[in-house]
This record gives sequence, structure tokens and C-alpha cells, in this order.
Amino acid sequence: MISHFLTIFVGFSGGLAVGAGFVAFLTVLGVIPRITQLTKTMKLIAAYEWGVILGAICGGWVSLRDPLLFLTPYVLIPLGLFSGVFVGMLAAALTEVLNVFPILAKRMGVSDQIVVLLMAVVFGKVVGSLFHWLYFVDH
Amino acid sequence: MEQTVFLKLRHRIQVYPNATVFIRDIAQMVTVDDALMCRLKDIPLYTVQKRDRNIVIIDVMHVMKAIVRHFPNVDVQTVGPSQTIVEVVYEKKRLSFLYFALVWLLLFVGSALAVMNFHEDVSMQQVQQRLYRIITGEKEAKPLWFQIPYSLGLGIGMILFFNHFFRKRINEEPSPLEVEMFQYQQSLDQYVIMHENKEAMRRIEDD
Repeated sequence: MISHFLTIFVGFSGGLAVGAGFVAFLTVLGVIPRITQLTKTMKLIAAYEWGVILGAICGGWVSLRDPLLFLTPYVLIPLGLFSGVFVGMLAAALTEVLNVFPILAKRMGVSDQIVVLLMAVVFGKVVGSLFHWLYFVDH
Repeated sequence: MEQTVFLKLRHRIQVYPNATVFIRDIAQMVTVDDALMCRLKDIPLYTVQKRDRNIVIIDVMHVMKAIVRHFPNVDVQTVGPSQTIVEVVYEKKRLSFLYFALVWLLLFVGSALAVMNFHEDVSMQQVQQRLYRIITGEKEAKPLWFQIPYSLGLGIGMILFFNHFFRKRINEEPSPLEVEMFQYQQSLDQYVIMHENKEAMRRIEDD
């Protein structure tokens, strides 16, 4: 009986730590404020918070319970696109936090070409990812 | 009679090497007497020398000193920043195309490799295979229905974040990158204001 309570306690505190860490990570990178700024929907920020929370809960549930839904594989297209955009925004936010582009452009004296440098990273990510899934995983 | 002159220093100006900086270059002024204003504007402040290299800081006290020396009974009221950053612009070296292409390729290959390492690091393939199984009920070693949109989304997400569709902007606001560039420049300015300005700090040894 005691061990059950102990398991519940450990599981709950572990979830608490991971959830807080996840939210802290998102907050530091500032992805959600950026989306509200782009879409001009600052008022809906509470709804976005709930979106993140429900997404995390669903993801946790699905990965722990392994349900089978028997849907068509086309459902994966929007899912893939959305998760790609999300990861892309995280990656962009991360390079921004690390101040990569301002320093690079300043050092090289190409402040006006910064978009071209940015595109190098964007294309690099897309091509690298496609290469990984289409070719690399088979070898 | 004492005349009041309002004076506001510019934040940053650019000059050629060996140029002489006049008050008209570094400050905006307002006064009632136009003749006085014209004479004030032509007060030389500083001649750029070789040893100054790129940055010279002209402090507002230096400007005041120059004005007081020429016109002892003018009352100067200063507004705004208390120093101007004078940037000496030497002949710009044209960045060679080859050099730029090399850096571009460096970033390109680097980010491609980084994203592949990231995928391997978080075992994304396995997660996607499981996701495929959960949704369709079938096993699939390469869930490309997920992976190709994901790869394209990666690029779209980055562009969205930086608010650039190549040259075209999505809306008027500055992108985080531009804000970041601005803040970086401000920090650099703040640094040179403190470190290149002899009046800004005083140590024990130099008296």
C-alpha cells in the first residue's frame, strides 16, 4: 500500500518537474509571444496556453498508452507539417537567443546580406532533414 | 545680453579619415539669433587622426568647452545624449563573392548536419514510426507521410519566426532578428562610449 502511494508521489513530482521545465523552455525561447505578435492575437494568449497544455497531455497519454486509431495515413501530413513548423520556430528562437546572426554579420561586414545568411540555415535545415529521412536512415 | 542656445548631440555620425568635425556635424541647435547660430555651427571640435582608428567619442563637455571659449556669454542648454560616437569610415573592402559563398556553405552544411544529429539524438525516427502505428494501425519503417511535411515545416517555421519570406516581409513590425541586431549595436555603442571616452572613467593611477 505504502509503495503505491510512493509510486504516485514519485510519478506526480516527476511530471510536475518535466511540465514546469517544458513551459520554462517555451517561455525562455518566446515562441508563443512571437506567434501572437505575427497573428495579432495577443488577447487569445490564454487559449494558446491551454493548447500547449492539452497538447502535452495528449502527447503524454498517447505515448504511454499506445492506442490504435486506424485512420488514413493522410492525417499525418498536417501533423508532420505542424510539428515541423513548431520545431523550426524553436530552432530559430534558439539561434536568436545565442545571438548567432548579429555577431556573424557584424564580423563579416555583411549586415545587409543577413537574410541571405539566414536562408543558408533555413535551406540547410530542410535539405538536411529530407536527406536524413529519405537516404540516411537506410544506410 | 546672454543668449540661450539649445543643443542636442546626435547619437552617431560617420566621417572620412582626417576630417575635421564641426559642431554642425554632431549637433542640432536652436536659438533665436540666426547669425550667432551660423557662427556657432562653424566651430571646429576635433580633427580625426590616424591613431584614433575607427571610433572617437566626443563628449558634450568638450562641445561646451569649445563654445564657451569662442562665445563666453552664451548660455548652452543641452538636451539628449551626452556624447556622440564618431565613426571613421575607411575605404570599404569589397567582400569577395567567394568568401561569402564559403560562409554560406558553412552555415548550410552546418545546419543540415545539426538537424540530422538532433533527429538522431531524440530518436525521432522511432517516435514517428510509433505515431504512424498509432494513427494507421500499421507498421511502417519510413513514415514519409509525416517526414516530408515535417522537413518542409522546419523551414517554414524558421522563416515565420524571423518574419521574412525571402525579401518580402509578412508585416510591418521589426523581426526578432532586427531587434537583436539593434540591441547588439546598442551594447557595442554603450561599450565604446564608456571605454573610448577618456572623460567617462577615472582610475587611481592616472591623475
